[in-house]
Amino acid sequence: MPNNNSSIFKILRNKELLIAAIALVIFFSITSNRFLSFSNITNVLMNISVSGILALGLALVMINGDFDLSFASAVGLFTLITVMLVDKHWNVWFVYSIAIVGGMVWGTLNALLVVQLKMHAFVATIATWTICRGLIYWINGGRTFYGYYPPIMTLIGRGTVFNFIPISAIIFIVATIIILLLANRSKFGRYIYAVGSNPDAAEYVGINSKRIRFTSYVLEGFLIGVATVILASKLSSGPATAGDGFQMTVIASAFLGATVFKPGLVNIGGSVLGIFLLSIIENGLIMLGVPFYFKFIVQGLIIIGAVAFISIKNKRSEGPAIV
Amino acid sequence: MTTKEILMSTKGLNKSFGATHAVVNLDINIEKGDIMGLIGENGAGKSTLIKIMGGEHFFDSGQIFYHNKKISWSNSAEALKKGIAIVHQHPLLVSSLNAAENIFLGKEFSQGFFVDNIKAIDETKKLIKKYPILKNLDIEKPVTEMSAGEKEVVEILKALSYDPEILILDEPTASLPKDETATLLSLLKELNKTNHITIIYISHKLEEAFEICNKITVMRNGKNIGTLTRDNFDKDKLVKMMINQDISEFYPEKSPKIGNKLLEVNNIISQKLRDVSIKVHEGEIVGLYGLIGAGMTELVESIYGLRPFRKGEIIFKDKKIPQSHVDTIIHNGIFLIPGDRHRYGLFPSFTVSENITIAHLFSLFPEFLLKQSKENHLAIREAKRVNLKYADINQLIQELSGGNQQKSIVARWLLKECEVLMLDDPTVGIDIGAKRDIYRILRELTSRNKGIIFISSEITEIIGISDRVYTMRRGKITANLSNKEINQENILKNIL
Repeated sequence: MPNNNSSIFKILRNKELLIAAIALVIFFSITSNRFLSFSNITNVLMNISVSGILALGLALVMINGDFDLSFASAVGLFTLITVMLVDKHWNVWFVYSIAIVGGMVWGTLNALLVVQLKMHAFVATIATWTICRGLIYWINGGRTFYGYYPPIMTLIGRGTVFNFIPISAIIFIVATIIILLLANRSKFGRYIYAVGSNPDAAEYVGINSKRIRFTSYVLEGFLIGVATVILASKLSSGPATAGDGFQMTVIASAFLGATVFKPGLVNIGGSVLGIFLLSIIENGLIMLGVPFYFKFIVQGLIIIGAVAFISIKNKRSEGPAIV
Repeated sequence: MTTKEILMSTKGLNKSFGATHAVVNLDINIEKGDIMGLIGENGAGKSTLIKIMGGEHFFDSGQIFYHNKKISWSNSAEALKKGIAIVHQHPLLVSSLNAAENIFLGKEFSQGFFVDNIKAIDETKKLIKKYPILKNLDIEKPVTEMSAGEKEVVEILKALSYDPEILILDEPTASLPKDETATLLSLLKELNKTNHITIIYISHKLEEAFEICNKITVMRNGKNIGTLTRDNFDKDKLVKMMINQDISEFYPEKSPKIGNKLLEVNNIISQKLRDVSIKVHEGEIVGLYGLIGAGMTELVESIYGLRPFRKGEIIFKDKKIPQSHVDTIIHNGIFLIPGDRHRYGLFPSFTVSENITIAHLFSLFPEFLLKQSKENHLAIREAKRVNLKYADINQLIQELSGGNQQKSIVARWLLKECEVLMLDDPTVGIDIGAKRDIYRILRELTSRNKGIIFISSEITEIIGISDRVYTMRRGKITANLSNKEINQENILKNIL
C-alpha cells in the first residue's frame, strides 16, 4: 500500500484552488497596500459571511445532484419582510426566528416541487425564483424599504468582537464547521454523497433518497434563513435587489469548489474555499480600482474555467453532482 | 426435398470479436421458400451470423454465396438493396412518429423542400395491400400509442418496404403477449406462402419454431450443430443439440445438510409475477432460472421491498413480513446483490472502503460521526474475506477491475451477518477467479446455515451451484427441481 504522505505532490494533489487562493492573496497584497489592512480584512469577512452561508446550503443540495437558483431572491424576500416586521416594532429576535423558519418553508417548497413532484431542479427553482422576485416588487413596489429599527438589530450584521472579528464571520465559521462535519463525517452526509453518486444504487442499500434530498433542501432553507438574518441586520433596510448580488458568486463557488478536495464533486470545503477566492478577487479588483462590472466578467470566466478544469481532470466523471 | 434452390449459403465462415470466436467455420444453407428456424443458447452466434448476412458485420474469413454468386457486403444498405432485410430484436422506431413516417424514415418522399407525408401514407397503404399484414393497422397513429405487437408489425413493414427476398427476424415475439404472438406467427406464415419470402426465424421459444418453421438449424459455440426437418421435430432432441454437455468442475461441493425453512414466499401476484411461491431453507442455495423477462429479478426485488405486489405474503422465520421499505428488509437480514452492478450497485465516486460500508452505516456506527479508522478496519476485514485485490482501501472503486468491483459489493453485504442472501446474476462479466471466489463465499455462508437465492443467466452455473432449482416462465414457477433432477434437459424443458 502506498505511503500517502511521502511526497509534497501527494499533499498538494487536488488542492490547486488553495494554492491559487494563496497566490492571489500574495498578488493583491503586493499590488495594493490597503488589501491586507485590518479594516479590509474585516470588510472581506463581513461580506463573505452571507454568501458563504448560502454557498454551504447550495453545496448541500448540489451534492445530492439537485440544484437551486432561487436562494438569492429568497434572501431578498425574507430580508424585506424582516425589516418590515421590525418596523412594526416586533421583537427583533422573534422576527429573526421568523426569518429562519421562513427559509425552511422556502426549502420545503422547493423540495416539494423537485423531490415530490419530480420537476427538474432548474425549472422548478427558476419558477420559484421568478415568483419571489414578483413578490418583492409587489410588496414594496420595487423601492428600498426604510423604516424604524432598534440599534440592537444591527448587532449581528455589523458588530465585531475586539473591534476586529465580525460577529457574522463567527456565525459563518461555526456554520462551516457544523456543515463540514455533517457532510463529510456523518452518516447523513455519506448518504447525500451516495444519492448524488448513484441514486439507484442508494435505493438498493436501503437509503430513502427522496427523504435525503428533501432534508437537504430544508437544511439549505435553514441556511437561507440564517443568511437573511445577517443581511437584514447588516442593511437594516430592504432593497428590492437585496440578495441578487450573491446568486452568481455562490453558484460560481460551488463549481469552483468542485475542483478541489473531491475533484469532480461539489463539496463543502471546496465551496467555502471557492467563496473565499471569489471574494478576494472581487475585493482585490476594487482595491486596484477596476470598475465593478469586471466582477461579473471574471465570475463568468471562472465558472467556465472551473467546469472545463473538472471535465479535463475528472476521474469521477460518472457522478451526477456536476450539473 | 433436395430439389429446392439454395438461396444463400456460407462456407467456412469465421468471425471473432477480440478473444471471442463468435462464428466458427460455419457452413449453412438457406433454401428458397423456407421458414428456417435458427436456435441456440445466448452467445451461440446466431445474432452474429444474421448480422453478417445483413451486411452489419464483416466476416474474418470464409465465403458467402447469394444466388450462387460470391458476395461480400460493404454495408447493410447494400444487403437491403439486394433483398436481405433484418428485423431486430428491439424495435428501432422513432416513438413520436407514426407508422408511415417510420417506415419511410431515411427514404422520405419529398415535395420540393418538404417531406411528402401524404405520399408516405399512400405508399404504406399500398404495402399493406400487397402484403397480408394487419389490414386494420392505424398507420397514422404515433408509435408511442401502439401495442408491442403493432410496433413489431411496423418494424416488419419497414423491412418489407425494401421488397426483400429474405426476411430475417431476431426474436420477434420476445416482448409480445400471447394473442399478439399468435397473430404475428400467422402473418409470417402468410408472407411466406403468398409472397414467397424466405424467412429466417430466431427464437428461444421452441413451440413457436415448431409451429411455423419447416426446418430448424441449431447453433452452439458458433458452429452449425445440425438441422431437423419438420417431420422429425423433437423437443428433447433439439435441447440436447443446443446445450454443451460438459459441466465445468470449478463449482464447490453441494450442501450436505439442508436445515429448517428460512424464507417462504406464498402466492405472490404482481404486474410481472403470477402466483409465485418459493421456499428457502437453511444451508441451501436455491437457483432461479428462466429466460430474460421471465420474472426472476422481479421476484427477488419483490421480496426485497423494491416492488410492490398485489397479493401474496412473505414469511421469514415463521413470521410474516409486511410489505415495506428496503431498509426494514435489510434490518431482517435479507440482502440483495442486484444485477447490473454499474446501475444498481456501485457508487462510482466513492472509495473502496466507502462502497463496502455504505449499507450498514447506521448499525455499525451508533455514534453521530463516522470514524475513518474503524470504517477502514471493517472494510479491510471484509475485503480479505472475498479475496479483493486493491492497492489502497481508500482508492476510488472505479480503479478496480470489474471482478473486484463485484467482490466489493459482495463484501458490502458480508459486513453484516445475513440470513438470506439473494444474488441477481452476480458473475456477469467477471473472470473465472472472481467467480470461484464468489462461489466459495456462498458455500461458506451455507455451511453456517444461511439461505441463498441465486439467479443466473448461465444454465451451467445454475446447475453447478444450486442445491435446488426453480424454473420460471412468463412470471410463473414451472418446476421445482432437486438433486438428480437438476440437469439441462429438465431445466430447458421447463423454461421454453
